Amino acid sequence: MLRLLKIDFKKFVNYRTFWVLMTLYSVLVVSIPTTVMEFLKWLKVKGANFNEFDPLRVPVLYFPDIWQNITYVYAFLKIVLAIVVIISVSNEFSYKTVRQNIIDGMSRIEFVGSKLSTILMLSLYSTLLVFLTGLITGLIYTPNYDFTDIFTGIEFVFAYFLDVLLYLLFAFLLTVLIKRSGLTIALLVIYLPLEYILTANLPNSIDFIGAYFPMHAMNNLIEVPFPKYIFQEIQDYVSMKSVLVALFYIVLFPLAIYKKLKQSDL
Amino acid sequence: MDSVLSIKDLTKKYGRITAVNNLSLEIKKGTVFGLLGPNGSGKTTTLGIILDVINRTSGEYQWFGEAPSKEHRKRIGAILETPIFYPYLSATDNLKIVAEIKQVPTDNIDHVLRQVDLYERKDDKFKTYSLGMKQRLSIGSALLCNPTVMILDEPTNGLDPQGIAEIRKLIIEIAKDGKTIILASHLLDEVQKVCSHFAVLKKGKMIYTGLVEDVSKGEETIEVFAEDENLEQLLNDYEGIKNINFDHNKWIVSLHDGHNSITLNAYLIANKITVSHLVTQKKSLEKQFLEVLAASDE
Ligand SMILES: Nc1ncnc2c1ncn2[C@@H]1O[C@H](COP(=O)(O)OP(=O)(O)O)[C@@H](O)[C@H]1O
Ligand SMILES: [Mg+2]
Repeated sequence: MLRLLKIDFKKFVNYRTFWVLMTLYSVLVVSIPTTVMEFLKWLKVKGANFNEFDPLRVPVLYFPDIWQNITYVYAFLKIVLAIVVIISVSNEFSYKTVRQNIIDGMSRIEFVGSKLSTILMLSLYSTLLVFLTGLITGLIYTPNYDFTDIFTGIEFVFAYFLDVLLYLLFAFLLTVLIKRSGLTIALLVIYLPLEYILTANLPNSIDFIGAYFPMHAMNNLIEVPFPKYIFQEIQDYVSMKSVLVALFYIVLFPLAIYKKLKQSDL
Repeated sequence: MDSVLSIKDLTKKYGRITAVNNLSLEIKKGTVFGLLGPNGSGKTTTLGIILDVINRTSGEYQWFGEAPSKEHRKRIGAILETPIFYPYLSATDNLKIVAEIKQVPTDNIDHVLRQVDLYERKDDKFKTYSLGMKQRLSIGSALLCNPTVMILDEPTNGLDPQGIAEIRKLIIEIAKDGKTIILASHLLDEVQKVCSHFAVLKKGKMIYTGLVEDVSKGEETIEVFAEDENLEQLLNDYEGIKNINFDHNKWIVSLHDGHNSITLNAYLIANKITVSHLVTQKKSLEKQFLEVLAASDE
């Protein structure tokens, strides 16, 4: 596995696009909380009249709220990582390097394995980055907290990992089916609303299956947290069912990818 | 146990097209095997199948007498159709990937780059290379694992005459090291210059196989001319004569086995004729090839 990761990493080392996207992504993740907090402070300092309302009192980035909030928001940024995956895989087809890799002595399973290990690394990196950003932001800004508050809701970080992993695997599968990067990115972007439109129009008798579609499975891991700040009921935990459905796709997608590659002439 | 590759009843169908049709082939260690055939005759498809990038419709093949696996491919240096590398990476970085896949040390990289005369350009990106350099890099890459078997598919395609000569020289040098080489080409003189054995494919079928040497042997013609009116009569009286024609101011004769230009010359001298022109011509593989192709149409 490590060897396969190493092979795929060597394809990136001197690839500018990869480093540009990764830097962009990392800077975005790290800078958002500071920007938000500084913006709120600035609002307050400016003495904006909020009818006695202090923007800094809303605990958006305080423990324990922070975990669900930032994982929910950061999940939108995973599109950047998906683009990295799509480019990495579609390059192999457009340059035909997948063919040469096999000729040189990789098996198709190893080829899939090497891309999977990169996807796993990207997901872990993203999760770690989000975890550290959340931790540091919370430590800096939370006015007073107990030690136990810090890790309350940490399961959202785990859910975030599954969320990103599932999405990147989905991007991998789409690329293997479509092969062209531009088209794949476009399809990845429009697939999500399409899935929601489709499930919204299911007849009532079977509309429960909507939750089992892949993008639903992904989005159900971390529910929208913000309505609670206007006193609405939200789901402030990760449901076991959503984890199981997500895991199902996390296993299914690689199998589908392998099956597709196995029967294609490269 | 000196079989390198054995192919049995291999067939590949693309819909209605049969790209490879019931092909059987045996390649022994140390041979330079030419796979000869016009464009579209199934050479690349055949090589693609034995390298596991194309799925076969039916048939079997074995590497070194064993069921094929990725471990065999790691010991084979192969290029198919065009040089394939990561365009944004340098030659060195590209070969590092190949070394990692083949699980061979990277120490060999500089050596093979020198061998294919790319050492000076090793840090330049692949996409900046000329076609000839790309072809040479792919041969270098195939040499990286110090393979016992090399597969080269149209290695001189698209090159200028100088590039063609360089690549052929390289192949002949490699062949001298005792490696088994499988060379696919639609160029007859390429196969003739480089190979020891060859097979001719047409529409996916093998229509001829044999030694290059046999093809050239026994198919000699001799051009003779002398300023002597008795020449024609004497030639016709020669015991080894098989055939005689007059063409462009000279006689073109072919002889039976055991006779050649030396015996003919001795005969003419004995009969007091000194020739002003005496040249032995081997019948080219090209002529044979065209004959074989034409015969297969009947
Ligand atoms: N992917 C493919 N789909 C359909 N037909 C193909 C494909 N690849 C090759 N062929 C057909 O198979 C035949 C053999 O092609 P190929 O093996 O490339 O020939 P060669 O290498 O001898 O020029 C040709 O008729 C070609 O058109
Ligand atoms: Mg070809």
